[in-house]
Amino acid sequence: MSKFLKALSLGTLIATLPLLAATAHAGDAEKGEKVFKKCTACHAVGEGAKNKVGPELNEVFGRTAGSLEDYKYSKAMIDAGSGGLVWDETTLTTYLTKPKDMVKGTKMAFAGLKKQEDLENVIAYLATFSSAAAPADQQSAAEPAAEETETASADTAVEAPAVPVSETRDGGVFGLGRAATEDEVAAWDIDIRPDGTGLPEGSGTVADGEVLFTENCAVCHGDFGEGVGRWPVLAGGQDTLTEERPEKTIGSYWPYLSTVYDYVRRAMPYGNARSLSDDDVYALTAYLLYLNDLVEDEDFELSKDNFQEIRLPNEENFIADDRAEEPHYAAKAEPCMSDCKDSAVEITMRARILDVTPGSVDDDEASGMGGVD
Amino acid sequence: MTDKTISKTPGLSRRSLLKAGFAAGAVAGTAGAARAAGDPLITEIQDWNRYLGDGVQARPYGVPSEFEAHVVRRDVEWLTASTESSVNFTPLHELDGIITPNGLCFERHHGGIADINPADHRLMINGLVDTPLVFTMEDLKRFPRENRVYFLECAANSGMEWRGSQLNGCQYTHGMVHCVMYTGVPLKLILEEAGLKTNGKWVMPEGADASAMTRSIPIEKALDDCLVAFKMNGEALRPEQGYPLRLVVPGWEGNMWVKWLRRIEVGDEPWHQREETSKYTDLLENGKARRFTWVMDPKSVITSPSPQAPISHGKGPMVISGVAWSGNGRIKRVDVSLDGGRNWKTARLDGPSLSKAMHRFYLDIDWDGSDMLLQSRAMDEHGFFQPTKNELRAARGENSIYHNNGIQTWHVKADGMVENVEVS
Ligand code: HEC
Ligand code: HEC
Repeated sequence: MSKFLKALSLGTLIATLPLLAATAHAGDAEKGEKVFKKCTACHAVGEGAKNKVGPELNEVFGRTAGSLEDYKYSKAMIDAGSGGLVWDETTLTTYLTKPKDMVKGTKMAFAGLKKQEDLENVIAYLATFSSAAAPADQQSAAEPAAEETETASADTAVEAPAVPVSETRDGGVFGLGRAATEDEVAAWDIDIRPDGTGLPEGSGTVADGEVLFTENCAVCHGDFGEGVGRWPVLAGGQDTLTEERPEKTIGSYWPYLSTVYDYVRRAMPYGNARSLSDDDVYALTAYLLYLNDLVEDEDFELSKDNFQEIRLPNEENFIADDRAEEPHYAAKAEPCMSDCKDSAVEITMRARILDVTPGSVDDDEASGMGGVD
Repeated sequence: MTDKTISKTPGLSRRSLLKAGFAAGAVAGTAGAARAAGDPLITEIQDWNRYLGDGVQARPYGVPSEFEAHVVRRDVEWLTASTESSVNFTPLHELDGIITPNGLCFERHHGGIADINPADHRLMINGLVDTPLVFTMEDLKRFPRENRVYFLECAANSGMEWRGSQLNGCQYTHGMVHCVMYTGVPLKLILEEAGLKTNGKWVMPEGADASAMTRSIPIEKALDDCLVAFKMNGEALRPEQGYPLRLVVPGWEGNMWVKWLRRIEVGDEPWHQREETSKYTDLLENGKARRFTWVMDPKSVITSPSPQAPISHGKGPMVISGVAWSGNGRIKRVDVSLDGGRNWKTARLDGPSLSKAMHRFYLDIDWDGSDMLLQSRAMDEHGFFQPTKNELRAARGENSIYHNNGIQTWHVKADGMVENVEVS
């Protein structure tokens, strides 16, 4: 249970405590506010802050890791918390340096802050939203916080949802199920087709989209949709489809704009799906058109009314499945069983030349070797 | 896992203490006595033969032997930006028969594993139906149900091998496939319960997870053999396989088998969702892209020997073992070549031969200890043969990603080590 705390106190705590004592409050909260821009795609802090991709960070000092009730943490983070991890200057420093090293399996998709200065400043900034931020209180604050969450989770466990009773109705073959209400259908049926079926009322401009994109999307997809690290690229790649390394984006590959609206509304931002308003999604779709040079005017407003006028350039290049006509299938001939090749067979390529088997190469070397989509 | 460690550790340490004490006494007591000749595993009494093992309930949910701890799904970390949208691979090289154990079925998620209490799960049918309906899990279990064994293959299986051999091990080159027995309700019954309108030509299943996965499926397929399944290999679906409910789309690409299935819409046209436009379309060399390439073509791979399962025994009798499958139906025949495709022998299919299920084949040979270039070539009941990788490249180029069912070559060396290669 307390393995985590042990590992921490033996390693990091002892190693960094004296150092921290000397540099406590070295951070500049004002500068930290700027650093915190790197977190805002996923975290909010300050008055009225709500959970986003990540939990809200008010009163994070003294908080047991993974303990906000209305946020769904990874199992790793909850385990770390029940193992005794409490957020303070020391633990935040370790976590924010390399989140996945400290809490293996955390779902915080953030590589970490490299500069010591940034770390100190952002922690100082967070401290201004925590009443328990004084380093001296940390140890004692840990206990009650842990207890609180324990009782809280015990409470929630009691009210297990009642198992719905299966009744029969008139109609149908078996009379099973019940009629869906209009509101229920409306809540789930949010799909959009290329002919515009399903588009909601609303509109949004490129300029609005830019603000939304910077706040909610750029952390993964890059300011210009170029993709950060291995996160998906959303723009560019025009005229690359016949090249050795095609880049398939909304502008270069996708056949229909309806798919952009539909997908962003149902699945983005990653980790906080269904959090955007219909107008937001119009604005983001407009901005994605802009990033792909498909509209040029920042004042361009996309709406339900003009949506159908936009055509994506690659629409005509999709064809039906004609695999059965490929020569090797079309022939359906009885294949050769003996002396099928004239000369002795030679090895033309070995995996070890391109070997990217896990464990045999370092990650950076291997990336970009192609992948799973 | 935790269960096992907790219940085992005390027992184990007590026993090992006993063992240490006893061994010392035994050596002293029998000093000078004649030692029997032979394998000590036979001539000496082993702990497990003398002391009692764990009792019932030591493992309330059984797990494999600790000596099988290496038989696990594995991933390729650098492939994807986050593990919530990623894939891992079935350890095909460790398995036999045609059924994949539930805990070893590869995973592919787009927004992590949704964690759903079945009491909170609903399935909605809407769109072009007489009465849009909502079902609970309990409602679904009151429909007549069926048991069917099917393989599920991700369309991107072997997708990393288009440009040439890359990964050393059939777990990585071919491990995005599994085969289990599903228990579920024919989709046809559920659609008919809501009353299909005559202009309903397509259905779109949707998942309840954070990616709200969606795909368009033609009505003919929906009414033919699709199942709405709640069990795999007799027990509830695993969370990573869509618990409590998933769609089964036999023979068609895995992405369509929507997990955490919460809604099926009926429409008159396809929806062109992200997973059938941006993804799961097959880019050809000329810049055109095929869409709606649903069927998984005939495919096979030798699972042993293979790079992760080298030959450890030297020359003499041995079993070449592999799996074959086709989205078109049954596998009729599998041929195996030991010399890189010059000469072929027909392998022996063993075990049940079920439509759109995995088939197991064996070729029993007397290995002379020299290098082999092993290949297998599947043929399905409709006469479609598995093509070579070069035939596929000639027809499609190297940027299709999906539907790479080309013939795999393993180079077996004299020392028994095996490597993923391509041949002339
Ligand atoms: C891409 C999204 C993302 C970014 C960017 C990000 N985080 Fe997080 N963060 C998360 C998620 C998701 C969690 C929940 C982790 C878990 O449950 O494993 C989290 C958890 C945390 C926690 C633990 C909170 C708790 O209640 O236990 C802290 C502290 C934190 N993040 C701080 C930061 C700071 C500071 C930054 C910027 C320097 C940052 N994060 C950037 C997504 C993000
Ligand atoms: C935390 C990282 C993250 C954030 C933030 C994020 N995305 Fe994504 N996005 C992803 C991932 C991962 C995928 C691929 C998901 C999958 O594999 O199914 C994706 C896919 C997409 C795609 C489809 C790309 C393709 O080529 O198929 C679009 C469009 C998109 N995101 C738009 C957005 C928009 C708009 C926002 C902001 C509202 C956003 N994303 C925020 C991670 C992110």
